Amino acid sequence: MNDAPILRVEGLSKRFRGLVAIDGVSFTIQPGSITSIIGPNGAGKSTLFNLVTGYLSPTTGEVHFRNTQITGIATNRIAELGVARAFQIARPFRDLSVFDNVRIGALFGKRGVRDVGATTSRALDLAGIAHLSAAPANTLTVGQLRHLEVARAIATRADLLLADEPCAGLNPTETAAMIEVLRQIRASGVTVLLVEHDMPSVMEVSDRVLVLDAGRMIADGPPAEVAADARVIAAYLGTPDAADA
Amino acid sequence: MTRRPALTTAAALLIGVFCVALLAAAPTLMPPFYVRVGQLMLYSAALGVAWGILGGFAGYPSFGHAAFIGVGAFAAGLTEARYPGLKLELRLVVGLAVGGGACAVLSAAIAYPILRLRGTFFAIAMLGVSHVCAELNNNVDALQGALGLTLANIAPEAWDPATVFYELYLAAGVIVLFIAWEIKRSKFGAGLLAIREDEDTARMLGVPTTRYKNAAFVISAVLTGMLGVIYAHSLGYITTDSVYRDDTNLNLVVFSLLGGIGTLAGPVIGAFLLVFITQVVLGNLLDFHLFATGLLLVVLVLAAPGGILGLLRTMRRRPTVVAAE
Repeated sequence: MNDAPILRVEGLSKRFRGLVAIDGVSFTIQPGSITSIIGPNGAGKSTLFNLVTGYLSPTTGEVHFRNTQITGIATNRIAELGVARAFQIARPFRDLSVFDNVRIGALFGKRGVRDVGATTSRALDLAGIAHLSAAPANTLTVGQLRHLEVARAIATRADLLLADEPCAGLNPTETAAMIEVLRQIRASGVTVLLVEHDMPSVMEVSDRVLVLDAGRMIADGPPAEVAADARVIAAYLGTPDAADA
Repeated sequence: MTRRPALTTAAALLIGVFCVALLAAAPTLMPPFYVRVGQLMLYSAALGVAWGILGGFAGYPSFGHAAFIGVGAFAAGLTEARYPGLKLELRLVVGLAVGGGACAVLSAAIAYPILRLRGTFFAIAMLGVSHVCAELNNNVDALQGALGLTLANIAPEAWDPATVFYELYLAAGVIVLFIAWEIKRSKFGAGLLAIREDEDTARMLGVPTTRYKNAAFVISAVLTGMLGVIYAHSLGYITTDSVYRDDTNLNLVVFSLLGGIGTLAGPVIGAFLLVFITQVVLGNLLDFHLFATGLLLVVLVLAAPGGILGLLRTMRRRPTVVAAE
């Protein structure tokens, strides 16, 4: 873990009019890790992803990818540097086949030379949907679409994958399959940043867990440690004091 | 999978070459009326394909491409009128360059703001552009839109002008179709397809959406403007009303909807069919054209949103889907 961080977020804040969605969040992500961001609904997890991928500009603070300042630059430029995102609600190109969906990721994405066909096939294999490559995207199940979303993101040859609740709405078997895919992706050299609600999955797969509550980072550490943290439990379940008030 | 076997590509190319040869030879056998109908078919098909580079490939349907026909036609006409000594064989070349150039400047200038609008909003904004250009052209005296502008003949003396323009439209159509085909199978084309399917996702995957949309817009506008230059010469005398036409604005959309939007052959099929229906089948009911076109549009959107090609595709695909289940 002595490597330079792949992602560095410093004092990041985002205000929507009066609402503070992200409030002075700072953290670094080491290459080759799986880090989960958890927190109650409305804690600011998706906003944080939107800030990192350039869909939103922060009110204050900076995001650095490797040695590049990526705060406020265009989403497609961030993708060219090697950051990919799998959406929470799968957004396939519905009229295209699974192969062609993933091929778009391979054609664009991170800068540099590549073999588009081989990159596409490798991404399909890694996401476990190679057998579906000829199927039209609009015939896939919810679980398969999540895999397609991940395959398309890693086909960009990204070094950092932001996966937004890849297990939401999946049954236990599908969840286990997705967790395995994330492990494989990490094994292939991609750093994973995960937003997830499914606690057993988070505990199982993460090296480290960050906890957001009301836009602030309230805990940061290994899964077991974070799960025992009094502030985290309070954030999820409320405190006795709060119940009285 | 998109990759077609080389054999079918070669076969498609062969059929294409055969069709073009047949079309090129046709005027020698056709009565003059049908040469004129053929002219309109080829001109419309070429316009439809040029429109489709933006409207079909990128999913930005313009309702105002007549703006580029008009700007191209007047830019070329005014320039040629300034240099009456221009050689016959150079006139069209100069006209095409100036007309295309004017459309490049116009489209590049409005691309950034107007392409921030999506779907219907973009379509309506383009209709506005078309009307603003027409009004300016009509009311600024120097542009001679209201007075009218005469364009010098470009057909060699010995040749029948109708046949010359027929062949010119055919050549232009083949070139436009070739450009569209090259775009469709390129990385640029794949990027446009991603933009059409889901622009935000495309951007996330690294597609330079703004640059690609602007490029598609300028290419489409320039090709449309150059076709307008040929059209102006075929008319010989143009006014604002003869080039900035709202029925053109409408027809360009209908061609793609009728044939199949986003495809190469779709606008060609749509243009041929619609021109045939309005000029030949309904040839004696001139006032009925716009009504018929409008009716067709409504029926199409409701019954066959994928156009003729889309209908064929679903009919071909249906049995395999049933077999898979």
